[in-house]
Amino acid sequence: MSVSQVQEPHPADAIRSPRPPQFPALPDPRLVFEIEQFLYREARLLDEERYEEWLGLLTEDVHYWMPGIQARYRNDTSGGPISERMAFYDDDLLNLRRRVTRFMHATAWAEDPATRACHIINNVEVELTDTEGDYRVYSTFVNCRGRNEAEESWLAGRRTDLLRRDAEGALRLARREIYITQTVLLAKNLNVFL
Amino acid sequence: MSEQLEEEVWARPSAESLRQLVDLQKGRISPRIFWDDAIYRLELERIFARCWIFVAHESQVASPGDFLTTTIGEDGVIVARGNDGQVRVFLNACPHRGNRVCFAEAGNARRFTCNYHGWAFGRDGALLGLPAEEIYEKTCPDFDKSELGLMQARVASYKGLLFATFDPAAPSLDDYLGDYRWYLDVILDTDEGGTEFLTGNIKSWIDCNWKVPAENFVGDALHAQWTHNSGAVAMLGSGVGKAKQDSVYQANTNGHGMQFGFDMVGNIMTLGEPELVQYIRERETLVAERLGKVRSRMVAAMGSATLFPHFSFLAGLNTIRTWNPRGPHRTELHTWVLVNKDAPASLKAKYRRGVMRTFSPSGTLEMDDGENWENATRTAAGVVARRQKLHYGLGLNSKVEHEELPGNVHLRKFNDSNQRAFYGRWLDLLCAEDWSQVPGGR
Repeated sequence: MSVSQVQEPHPADAIRSPRPPQFPALPDPRLVFEIEQFLYREARLLDEERYEEWLGLLTEDVHYWMPGIQARYRNDTSGGPISERMAFYDDDLLNLRRRVTRFMHATAWAEDPATRACHIINNVEVELTDTEGDYRVYSTFVNCRGRNEAEESWLAGRRTDLLRRDAEGALRLARREIYITQTVLLAKNLNVFL
Repeated sequence: MSEQLEEEVWARPSAESLRQLVDLQKGRISPRIFWDDAIYRLELERIFARCWIFVAHESQVASPGDFLTTTIGEDGVIVARGNDGQVRVFLNACPHRGNRVCFAEAGNARRFTCNYHGWAFGRDGALLGLPAEEIYEKTCPDFDKSELGLMQARVASYKGLLFATFDPAAPSLDDYLGDYRWYLDVILDTDEGGTEFLTGNIKSWIDCNWKVPAENFVGDALHAQWTHNSGAVAMLGSGVGKAKQDSVYQANTNGHGMQFGFDMVGNIMTLGEPELVQYIRERETLVAERLGKVRSRMVAAMGSATLFPHFSFLAGLNTIRTWNPRGPHRTELHTWVLVNKDAPASLKAKYRRGVMRTFSPSGTLEMDDGENWENATRTAAGVVARRQKLHYGLGLNSKVEHEELPGNVHLRKFNDSNQRAFYGRWLDLLCAEDWSQVPGGR
């Protein structure tokens, strides 16, 4: 292809004046602070294996979803993660409870010695929704697990949460969507909530 | 089809040295088979490039242009349905410079175009065109597009399961499966409408030799009550009960094996979905009419199975999985959910979630397996550990005749007989220079 045939990637006016993103108005910083602290405290409960208390942060109708990720071509009309595809987590409260039961059981051999987990939560953004007391919260995470002597596995991803203020005024997690960067989980298991 | 070279020349382990590693009479196996590079390399040649390898369920490539990518051993392949409705399997490696020609896991494509120089291949793997084609025609005296397609494997299907082999001398798929088809029908043929895979495919890496999970599924009933106690507590509310040992069996043929009982719902109970148990119970008479009374009691019974070399399933629990070799000490696990095509959508969703929460990387049962398999592999790094002969001697005297069960049948599930048969077939294949030397009737 000769130089004269190379086209500008964008019309000249678009280069001069790119369209700014349409973000909603920033919420009250006290709300953002409260939600950030909620997420950090939640992460610490998981790191410290305080699963009973972690379950206490969830609404009764919680939906905890971590879809499997597939590498598909951009023109694939079936799009990104969809609920009909296989997932790592697609749980209600009962099934999160079942997982906690296994984690805590004395015969969960692969949890003894304990897995050492560290959740790093970042990029927290809070948006108000049309429903009073419901907040859409974006965040990112890095999760590191250490096992036995020298085993280590890393996961990074994005989360979209729906937090809801309950009747007593406390924040609860009503919905979480987790998107990791791996299509092949580069670990033998996923013995951690993200 | 492009020209194929003769077999590589390298220092293959001798048949004699291999036989010393596996003593089927006493039931003793050397951990070296899980660790040594040369054995692994020989497995890729003589098992994965030779046997019929499961590549897809027909439902995954239902329409012309539907494709998915997977592997046969460490060879990447594309499984694609052509415009003529036929499914083909071809190498995912360009005959020009060897680059991958397809990078997506699944989708629908008109053609597969190499990113490197733009060689484009059709849904049937044939070379359709390439940039500067006229220069090739002018300057390459033997240039023939028809000989530069992607390398094709033989493809055959059994009741929805698609298998492929790159060995032109391999026996027919029917002969390869033999009597095992009777057992496969327990998951594939309980309903007029046949089966399908739910969409999606969960993949993960386990740092273990691929045979460790394959032998676990072929017949390791023993580990369930110990390894999976915590998972059973989570899913059933109580630990694994004391397993019955009468009227429970291990059966194998050609190295394929299944361990099972006739409790009908033992496996499916674990999913924690009472409606699925109900579905199986309601269909008992119907299934008995199709498959007979014996198999109607096996459809979701406690048990496990491996189709040699690397395809495993749990009847009723409906997980299907392959243990794909990625070096001697790494396995890439691919898992799917199998359902009856005509099952109600609400039940399919329950299968999908049930399998996820039991047998997937996050599953309450599977989580404990990977830990065992990795460490059962890693200990073989030790010189002294490799001198140890591992004990596979359970049930040496348990062979029985059974009126209705085909293959080699052994009474009692706590039994290593299927695992010995798996390694018997493994040894036969590794020792044979080609299919004509592989003993039949095992």
